[in-house]
Amino acid sequence: MTSTLDVPVSAAANTPPLPKRRRQRNGPLIALLLGPSVILITLFIVLPAFYSIYLSLTNTQLTGFAARDPQFVGLDNFTYLLSNADFLGSLGQTATFTLFSAIIGQTVLGMVAAILLSRPWLRGKGLFGAAVLMPMIVPEVVASLAWASVLSNNSEGTLNRLTGLFGADPTDWLQVVPLTSIIIVNIWRGVAFAMIMFQAALEDVPAELIEAARIDGASAVQVFRHVTLPLIRGPVFLYLLLTTISTVGVFGLVYFLTQGGPGGQTRIAAIYIYERALQFSQIGIGSAASIILLVIVLVLGIVYVRLAKVEV
Amino acid sequence: MATAVAPTAPAPSHRKMRRRPLTPLDRVQRTLGYVLIALLAVFCLVPFAWVVFSAVDANAGPNVQWPALSFDNFVQFFTNRGTPLLLVNSLIISVTATVINLALGLAGGYALARFRFAGRRAFMFGILLIRVVPAPATIVALYLIMVNIGLSNTLIGLIIVEAAFQLPVTLWLLAGTIAAVPIELEEAAWMDGNSRLQAIWRIVLPLVGPGLGAAAMLSFMNVWGDFLTPLVLLQSTDLYPLSIGLFRAFSEYNQVDWGLLAASAIVYLVPPAVLYMFVRKHLLRSSLGGAVKG
Repeated sequence: MTSTLDVPVSAAANTPPLPKRRRQRNGPLIALLLGPSVILITLFIVLPAFYSIYLSLTNTQLTGFAARDPQFVGLDNFTYLLSNADFLGSLGQTATFTLFSAIIGQTVLGMVAAILLSRPWLRGKGLFGAAVLMPMIVPEVVASLAWASVLSNNSEGTLNRLTGLFGADPTDWLQVVPLTSIIIVNIWRGVAFAMIMFQAALEDVPAELIEAARIDGASAVQVFRHVTLPLIRGPVFLYLLLTTISTVGVFGLVYFLTQGGPGGQTRIAAIYIYERALQFSQIGIGSAASIILLVIVLVLGIVYVRLAKVEV
Repeated sequence: MATAVAPTAPAPSHRKMRRRPLTPLDRVQRTLGYVLIALLAVFCLVPFAWVVFSAVDANAGPNVQWPALSFDNFVQFFTNRGTPLLLVNSLIISVTATVINLALGLAGGYALARFRFAGRRAFMFGILLIRVVPAPATIVALYLIMVNIGLSNTLIGLIIVEAAFQLPVTLWLLAGTIAAVPIELEEAAWMDGNSRLQAIWRIVLPLVGPGLGAAAMLSFMNVWGDFLTPLVLLQSTDLYPLSIGLFRAFSEYNQVDWGLLAASAIVYLVPPAVLYMFVRKHLLRSSLGGAVKG
């Protein structure tokens, strides 16, 4: 980062052009103000990303023989991973997890909540809104702990009692349908963020347009499909981008409940990386998995940005 | 629980906004709307039942049951040997990291807002792009770096890392907030004989309160709730924050003290919940404002 130099270009529109002398004296000041931030970000965010690339090309281990003398192994880690059923399965689980929890579940429920809470006739908005927000504002460990009791295999577990009302036998949810369970947990946690984003977007839709469409005889569903939705397209794609990124990075919520089990059925990519690198101490392979994950996220990000025509 | 029975009667209409009378279809739609939102609220709140009930239950177990009301679990949390330390560690880590993050973010945000220099736009874009990187993807390399510079398994190491993690958002937020303060105010202060830093201290700082508050809260909540980073960077039990302490306590399948666990969870969730209620309004405003500028 060599960005702390001050050059005499014509300044951007909204700052009054300062005299040249003055601007050159600002160099050290800028370095002083921004320098520490640049150093911290470089050292603890940018450097690890590049260091991962290096590590992914070696057979670095935490312990054992290769720990003392890591060798350069080229793309071996990548060819290993891309032909490894566990890793490919893990990517598949990450995709399923993200698709059903973030892109479908949170988006649909968040949109329903945002639309209902924007109805003028709905009473108790504050109460309903606060209820939906609760899952988001508690730490993820508390969220997992709360769900551990809901999904408990015990016949007295909350969900088992509920299904028991319909005559079903108690089930060990995290053993029988682990992936579905964590998808539902993650939907629960993310509805609020979707709701907030969509509420802000809906506020910007001119009420006259809705009114006009209603007067022309459009049903509520038609209005939403043909008037509202096209108008909030940008924010919706922006939300999809943000939620996809944060869902791919989910770790604690799932690790707390299943630790990747049973039999690796909930071993999403974040858990795969953690297991490989820090529990089996295969740093090289773990780093290669990180890089693959990173590339996928970057590609997704670019696709979304293009679809949404977001200007950053 | 707060899932009040949905009143299906139409809201009393204001005199000015008199509408056509409700058609049967409207009534059905409204009823359906109340049912939906009530179901959603129940879905969101029911999982908390166990945590809330068990925390005040003298004989708490792993399942929801009507509590034998007592605050023994909380007394235990604050008097046990290990548990108060979890809270202290969490506070030390989150408060210190937030203070460092704000100090650096304020200085850096000022530079980004007030000066046009080469690489400024690239830097702003870069810190936006950093948000794309999922934390688990860099944690392994970060761990090795921390081991190499001798800061793994130390609170100071974790604090610096957490402060750095929150910097991109803080910089972005504060750059936007500071740019909204008219430069003329500062120039007037310079005329009165203040130095640049004095002007920042006396003029800018008091005016960016809401943005600063939002940044502080966001940063504190993220550090407070972080699970992965302390899990990887800390190995000593006496350095654990609440997140790791709760996880370890829960994982000891045979001898979980459910009441104590639930009480710890309540202690752990109160600070972010209270903070959120405080700055909820500022948050949306300043995060949107910060996102639009740049």
